[in-house]
Amino acid sequence: MKLSIRQYVFAACFAAAPLCAQTYVIKNATVMTVSKGTFKGSILVKDGKIAEVGEKVMEPAGAKVIDASNQYVIPGIIDCHSHIAGDGGINEGSISVSSMVDIKDIINPEDIAIYRALAGGVTTANILHGSANAIGGRTLPLKMRWGKDAQGMIFEGATPGIKFALGENPKRAGNPTGRAINGQAQQGRYPATRMGVEDVIREAFNNAKIYKAEWDAYAAKKTGIPPRKDLQMEALKEVLEGKRFVHAHSYRADEILMLLRIADDYGFKIRTLQHVLEGYKVAKEIAAHGAGASTFSDWWSYKMEAFDAIPYNAAIMQKKGVVVSLNSDDAELMRHLNSEAGKAIKYGGVSETEALAMVTLNPAKQLGIDNRVGSIEVGKDADLVIYDKFPLSDYAKVQKVLIDGTVYFDRDNEVSGRPGKAAEKQKMIDKEKQNQPRTQGGRGGRGGQ
Amino acid sequence: MAFAQSHPAVAIHNAKIVTVSGSVINKGTVVVRNGLIDAVGENVAVPPDAMLVEGEGLTVYPGLIDSLSNWGQAGGASAAAAAGRGGRGTTAAAPAAAAAVTAAPARGPEDRPQTTSWLKIADEVSPTGRGVETARSAGFTSAVTFPTRGIFGGQGAVIDLISGEKGAEMIVASPTGQYIAIGRTGGGGGGGMGGGFPSSLMGYIAYVRQIYLDAEHYKLVKDAYAANPNGMTRPEYDRALEGVLESKRILLPANRLVEIDRMIHLAADLKQPYILYGGREAYRPEAAALLKKANIALLVSMRWPEKNRDADPDDVDSVRTLETRDKAASAPAMLQKAGVKFALYSDGLEASRDLKAAVKKAIDAGLSREDALRALTLSPAEIFGVADRMGSIEKGKIGNLVVTRGDIFENSTKVEMVFVDGRKYVPAPETPAGGRGAATDDPGRNQAEVNQAGVKQ
Amino acid sequence: MVLSAETIVIRNADVYPVTGAAMMGVTVILQDGKIAEIGAKLLPPKGARIIEGKGLRVYPGMIDSGTELGLSEVSSTRETVDTGEIGEFMPQLRALSAVNPESEHFGVVRVNGITSVMTYPASGGGGGRGGGGSQHISGQAALIHTDGWTWEDMAVDRSAAMHLIFPSLGGRGGRGGGMAPDAILDMIPGAAGAAGFTAAKRTYDAQVAKIVAFFDEARQYQKERAANAPGFKRDLKLEAMIPVLEGKVPLAVSASRASVIHDAIAFAEKQKVKIVILQPRDIAKVGAELKAKNIPVILGRVLALPDTEDSPYDEAFTQPAEAYKAGVKFAFGTFNNEFVRNLPYQAATAVGFGLPYDEALKAVTINAAQIWGHGNEIGSVEKGKVADLIVTTGDPLEITTQVKYLFIKGKEVPLVNKQTRLYEKYMSRQ
Repeated sequence: MKLSIRQYVFAACFAAAPLCAQTYVIKNATVMTVSKGTFKGSILVKDGKIAEVGEKVMEPAGAKVIDASNQYVIPGIIDCHSHIAGDGGINEGSISVSSMVDIKDIINPEDIAIYRALAGGVTTANILHGSANAIGGRTLPLKMRWGKDAQGMIFEGATPGIKFALGENPKRAGNPTGRAINGQAQQGRYPATRMGVEDVIREAFNNAKIYKAEWDAYAAKKTGIPPRKDLQMEALKEVLEGKRFVHAHSYRADEILMLLRIADDYGFKIRTLQHVLEGYKVAKEIAAHGAGASTFSDWWSYKMEAFDAIPYNAAIMQKKGVVVSLNSDDAELMRHLNSEAGKAIKYGGVSETEALAMVTLNPAKQLGIDNRVGSIEVGKDADLVIYDKFPLSDYAKVQKVLIDGTVYFDRDNEVSGRPGKAAEKQKMIDKEKQNQPRTQGGRGGRGGQ
Repeated sequence: MAFAQSHPAVAIHNAKIVTVSGSVINKGTVVVRNGLIDAVGENVAVPPDAMLVEGEGLTVYPGLIDSLSNWGQAGGASAAAAAGRGGRGTTAAAPAAAAAVTAAPARGPEDRPQTTSWLKIADEVSPTGRGVETARSAGFTSAVTFPTRGIFGGQGAVIDLISGEKGAEMIVASPTGQYIAIGRTGGGGGGGMGGGFPSSLMGYIAYVRQIYLDAEHYKLVKDAYAANPNGMTRPEYDRALEGVLESKRILLPANRLVEIDRMIHLAADLKQPYILYGGREAYRPEAAALLKKANIALLVSMRWPEKNRDADPDDVDSVRTLETRDKAASAPAMLQKAGVKFALYSDGLEASRDLKAAVKKAIDAGLSREDALRALTLSPAEIFGVADRMGSIEKGKIGNLVVTRGDIFENSTKVEMVFVDGRKYVPAPETPAGGRGAATDDPGRNQAEVNQAGVKQ
Repeated sequence: MVLSAETIVIRNADVYPVTGAAMMGVTVILQDGKIAEIGAKLLPPKGARIIEGKGLRVYPGMIDSGTELGLSEVSSTRETVDTGEIGEFMPQLRALSAVNPESEHFGVVRVNGITSVMTYPASGGGGGRGGGGSQHISGQAALIHTDGWTWEDMAVDRSAAMHLIFPSLGGRGGRGGGMAPDAILDMIPGAAGAAGFTAAKRTYDAQVAKIVAFFDEARQYQKERAANAPGFKRDLKLEAMIPVLEGKVPLAVSASRASVIHDAIAFAEKQKVKIVILQPRDIAKVGAELKAKNIPVILGRVLALPDTEDSPYDEAFTQPAEAYKAGVKFAFGTFNNEFVRNLPYQAATAVGFGLPYDEALKAVTINAAQIWGHGNEIGSVEKGKVADLIVTTGDPLEITTQVKYLFIKGKEVPLVNKQTRLYEKYMSRQ
């Protein structure tokens, strides 16, 4: 059967890789393992895993050799804060606690942003609900397995998350002037202040504790009618049970501290503070709580609560004992997290390895997936990125990306495939033109009814 | 108003008879008596009391069935269907349509937003409703018509497209299932601020999930109360859940491949019998494979996507869009080949010319005429569990027939007469303008838009 | 111009003048705000301050050709924003006189070696649709130094360009952000897919006609003014247009897609005015025309998403290389205050995707100076030029490079700012 152009596109992407992961030897590369130093050597990839790493590795018969002379290999980049690959909006902002909604339900594996992220070296992304409300929806990490279906994107076994949001965004809908985010006059939605945001979260957890008690009581006796299952409460119950990670959008030091104290009071942990632009002011408290911090490298001044943002934030928090990652929150920036990491060297002077860890091993730790990804170690998933130059720089270009030992992006194939793709597309355009019946004209399409 | 002739018996004699369920009878007779097919075959005698139709040069088909329709409903907005708060916490007395206007934004699933699951379209249809006469003139004798407003629109019915006094006469089966729309609509658009719950696709899905969890729990509590009310607080009546519990199957929207995949996963969690509708990307082999594996029927919209006639000449559509426009109409052929059960539906098309052209497009894209016919007769009847009474020309089934001169899907073919419940109708001449609905010009449109534009309320 | 009195000697440094070959281990003398001497074995003048430059490099300070620096502090908080005035034709407005020299942004961008910027009166630093989408002329953009006591002190050119926002056509017109894949394009009100192209084109044509009419009116005014006929009344709006009509001030025209750029060029030819195109997207399509007409462009953010779903993922990254190949003269703009400090990294990405390094460096220095008519004063390290210099630890386009010293008009500006102060303060928190 003739391939459709879309299949053709996929086929072009995967031309280098069979359906199942094959054995690769990446040779002569500068290998930046993140966890075990940087050296010149090779990596053996087998059955989707990193089988051997060293100056010399075994070369099994039939292995495909990738000569990476003068090139660099790093672990696949992990973006701890992304909103790509979703359908139909990432904010259920109609209510202040939207913990019943789940990103998992709206994964769009055909979002082109996935391929673009892949071309920027991202192999895993934590797909978050938006920040319109104090307690947002459920979240989960995806692997950027372009070409797979929705289920095939899901990072197997990863602990799911939930989005919280503090500060300007959740209170904006409740702006007493009645002006909502899109400029339309809206009925105010509680809360309108940081005080109210705290109250919403406390009340939600107060309710969740009651809900959990009902279920615990039922589980103890197992007779009668079970309590009503409430999806909104269910997610918070999981937070209380440590089965769901809290990823909390936050900016100012006061609100960061406020959330840490709520968590202390209700007996749960904040897994990551997202953005956390004033985290440097309360790094000590963040470290004591054990929360990770996932921040921007240098975004600032786009709103009031970002005015004290400093590019040294990552370095300060890191030096004060916080596990720090750098994230994108943006489909474009996502493609340059390697150079975003470079900024941590510039601002605050962390080492190359520490900087690289901020987009690989540290986000892996924050997402609880560091047993699988985040560094180049034997036994970990073969999620690898090959760059043509030192990767913590804007001069560097991604050459190849492997996920689970399969090549998902290959710049040579991408570039050489372009003329063919363009020609195929032109054929389709011509075909449609030919088949288009000459209409009577004068009717303005859809608007005409 | 078309004139319906009523006779105790009608015999169409010497005609070609396409029974759909059996082989084609090249020259035979169909007898309809008291609204039912009394006999069909090569050597069937014409009863002496029957009104005789000389069938030489004519072909008799089972009446066509629109498998997802709004025909028979009031011309404008479906009268009682309404968005907004229903169910618990609202006084049920206010007319629903008015309630929709004044309702406060929903604060969560407990406010039962955009839900009229209890509504039965069987109570609303009318022989003067939309589509009845024009669709019948195109050879449609029946439709599976659904209330489509909101998320849980309500319960559909199989109706016969008769002219008459009472809507009740139209009902063949009711209820036939719950129409569910899942998609982003209004309410602050993508941001979803302040417009009430739900405002995003994931909100819609969460709401649907919660409703079924609630329904399950509601039933447990109700049953327990019914068994022993003594000493038990009585459960609060919830019409939204009552409506859901009454529905024997649900219809879920799925146009793109990812939506088909998504809905199959959702339905598995809901544990409800279901049918998918839409199917714009069902031409993709992966889609057919998914449906086959899940053994799920798909209702395919016949509003094939078309290029915007007033497009910016500098804007080139994406490969995705181009391919969908090129191939959408090949979905039926693909599904047929893959062995997936499917039916076709009008999706806003009403004029005979447009309906014929739409079927013709699927035929040109590889669907055999027999399979096209089946997708508009016996297949929808099977999907909705009414194949025991309609969908083919068999003894004992309802006397719904189309009599044409020439192949039914040819543009030049004229529908000579239509029998609905054994009553004969002669098609009205086509209006020159042709009531073509809005063209679906971009397959990338989101589901909500398709719902709004596609199935007019 | 108020110049620095101090004489500064940077010795033993590697000097990269941009306009010529690098000079290794030489001395640069800054005197009276100018570059007095460059050479080996120069004797420091008496009383001069000596900066040891061993292992360091000297480059011209960088220039961002698209900002709203000084006019906008916190972009989402209107009270702190002075771009985007009301009114369709506002040529009399001057960005310069609203520049706040104490804006925290200046200190932040200096740390990365940016010594001059073009600051625009339109919201979005020359790229946006000022005044709620109906603005055509937003006012006069200024070329300013990123340091000075007052805006007068900061000014390099109080009216370096008149900013014209050419009407946009089609869903991806305006800013060309590339955020609208086909799937959602037709949901955007006003996008061609939704409203119909015929209507969109009609609106576009009407807007273009309005601009033409305004220019005609200005030209008529120019004539009457020259004639100084009795009854002639001075009009501030039209008066402001005269330098443009006389070709003394270029029009900086925001236009991104090929057909619109083509129309803008035709317009400029007809009006006999000089133009610079801001944030063009379809360089591959219009490159030849731009080159033929000798029209320079200010490229927008290189780190941008592709325009359409099918566009190559690196479409925006390769625009500078495309412009270079087409022979179009270009400089860079960041078009958003938050990104001004990342100007050099935008240039580096362009190098990664095919732009020769030297061209990238020119695009953030001398090209910008020349495009805005000040190539003889700033943009390179040459004897006699204004002493806008940076002393760095390495290649200024490389992220990990640090700027060690920065001079504006021969004066050393300390590399501290709000952010470094907060850094010091909170690093020391126990």
